[in-house]
Amino acid sequence: MEPRESRTHVPPEKQEDPQLQSVRSILLAQEWERIAALEEELKQLRQVARTQQERADKLEQELERLRQEFKEETESLIPRLTAQLSGIISRTIQNSKHEMAQALAPIMGEAIRAQIRKSRDDMVEALYPIIGSTVARAIAEFAREFQRNIDVRLRSTFGPAGLWRTLRARLRGVSPSELALRDALPFAIEELFLIQHETGLLMAHSHLRESDVSDSDLISGMLTAIRDFARDSFGQGDVEQELDEIQYGDERIIIVNGRYAYLAVVITGVEPEGFRYQLRSYLSELHVEHDEALRDYAGDPATLPDLENSLTQLAESLSAESGPKPMGRTQKLALAGGGLFGILLLGVACFYLQFTIALWPLAFGQTPTATAVIPTATPTSTPSPTATLTPSPTTTTTPSATPTATPTNTSTPLPTFTPTPRPTNTPPPTVTAVPTSPPPITIGAVWAFTNPTTESQQIAAIPANTPVQILAQTGIWVEVSWTDNNNIEQRGWIPLQWIRLTEPISPDIITPIPGS
Amino acid sequence: MRVIQKKVCMLGDFAVGKTSLVRRYIEGRFDDKYLSTIGVKISRKTLPRGDHTLNLLIWDLAGGDDFSRVSASYLRGAAGAIIVCDLTRHETLNALSYYAEQLRTLNPQAALVFVGNKVDLLDERVITDDELTELSDTFGGTCLVTSAKTGERVEAAFQILADLIEAQQ
Repeated sequence: MEPRESRTHVPPEKQEDPQLQSVRSILLAQEWERIAALEEELKQLRQVARTQQERADKLEQELERLRQEFKEETESLIPRLTAQLSGIISRTIQNSKHEMAQALAPIMGEAIRAQIRKSRDDMVEALYPIIGSTVARAIAEFAREFQRNIDVRLRSTFGPAGLWRTLRARLRGVSPSELALRDALPFAIEELFLIQHETGLLMAHSHLRESDVSDSDLISGMLTAIRDFARDSFGQGDVEQELDEIQYGDERIIIVNGRYAYLAVVITGVEPEGFRYQLRSYLSELHVEHDEALRDYAGDPATLPDLENSLTQLAESLSAESGPKPMGRTQKLALAGGGLFGILLLGVACFYLQFTIALWPLAFGQTPTATAVIPTATPTSTPSPTATLTPSPTTTTTPSATPTATPTNTSTPLPTFTPTPRPTNTPPPTVTAVPTSPPPITIGAVWAFTNPTTESQQIAAIPANTPVQILAQTGIWVEVSWTDNNNIEQRGWIPLQWIRLTEPISPDIITPIPGS
Repeated sequence: MRVIQKKVCMLGDFAVGKTSLVRRYIEGRFDDKYLSTIGVKISRKTLPRGDHTLNLLIWDLAGGDDFSRVSASYLRGAAGAIIVCDLTRHETLNALSYYAEQLRTLNPQAALVFVGNKVDLLDERVITDDELTELSDTFGGTCLVTSAKTGERVEAAFQILADLIEAQQ
């Protein structure tokens, strides 16, 4: 603009030719007029701009003043509004609790998430009193349930089931307590589905707990679809590889496959040992019994046997087996009877053992090894000495056992003994000893032989505690005489160890053995 | 009353309206929001049939551009199927024969109903009744056109399928 203005203020015509100037005036008159008009307009616009600028300045000042006022007003309003809003919010929460919750829930959720991201530790600290007590309560409830199960297990420890459990534990290399602990874990069957393989149609359904059974056919279809999907995706279509378990939360679906149908069992907890085996056995039997019905099933339940009932029975039996139950009255009686029978059996066994050991020497003429039973001969019961001079033992001594009454189970049966009383050729021994000491007695039932060897013939069995008279001794054998039950005097050879001596054997009657 | 169950399948290409047909049939309404079908969805429709009740267990299978994406496992044991095409897309008609052959291979006795869906879109329709009938006759099935949006002949499609299934027994 400046160069134009300079041209306007110093017109060139002043220095130029007048003619040229007049021509220029004629030719440029309109332009000059226009320039003048524009200059005037520019001047006006500048004036307007100045006016606007002044107005803007004034407005800015006004705005600043308003801001200041608003700030002051807000500060003064906050205390007043806070009191009012608190009341309003309280009333709203009281009157429209649900609506308030609906409105605040998303904000609260997002706020909590944001706060957790921002300061996790603070949130944990703030929530611990709530979450901690909730978790503690849940754990305590679990512990109580666990304790109840263990208590029931302990009560049945001495029952047949307990013994069987102990045996199983030993066979599997774990302690019975570990097995009991594992069995004590909670377990429950929720539902059982019997589903046709190909179509996914539900054949039978059983539920032990309250559940919505109306969608059982849809569930069976979805289960089949999931199985098919798993087989196609992970098993490369191999029909041998099937999905056998699905877990969601605390519940699991155990799947056991049959040829035409499969079982899906919804359970909670840990299934007991052999659970799948029992399911498989049931399914296998079902296929054997109803092969055609299962194969040809086309959705009409009339073509099937009563599978619902069968499935319910299975569910009940599996639940009964898995859960520890206290013993019933019949079980207790049976257990008591079994205990008594066991004690009786033990008594008979002891009695039998005692006689077997007692008769051992009679059968084999050897020293019994079970010395613990020998003392039945009561070595302390020494007959009181009599004042009579009769040296022969009295016949009132009752034998504690008779050989004929004693059965034997040894491989070498006792030889039949027929008592053959025979008069002895030898005269009765002359009693020279002073009968102040009691006669020797046998400390157990013992066979007497014709000669000092077990190879010789057996004469008779001398009952225990029978007074005998020692006639001679050869080595470990002594020849004795005694009076049998028929009051007949007998004599024969018995091992010395079966005699309790009351005084040393006279050296006069001992036959020395060469080399001894 | 005796309850008989039958498995039926919904087959067809992607976005032909299978799920919408099922939803309209089961719930009697149409949701304008298109829900892409993923995997399998199973629905049940109970039909009183004189002396018994027929439970149709409808397997709504995900359709894809590639037929092989429909698992044969899902088709096994199906008593019948509704095979759907989109009347506004000619290529969906060509796929019908593939689905029908696949199903018949696994279940030779399966009842088939061919459905041309989206008949409400009159201006955009490219598949004629004659084309649909010709294809249907090839497989000995029945055909009809429906609209999941308006509900036109949706009930009829499933009723025809139920009749065909029971007639084959």
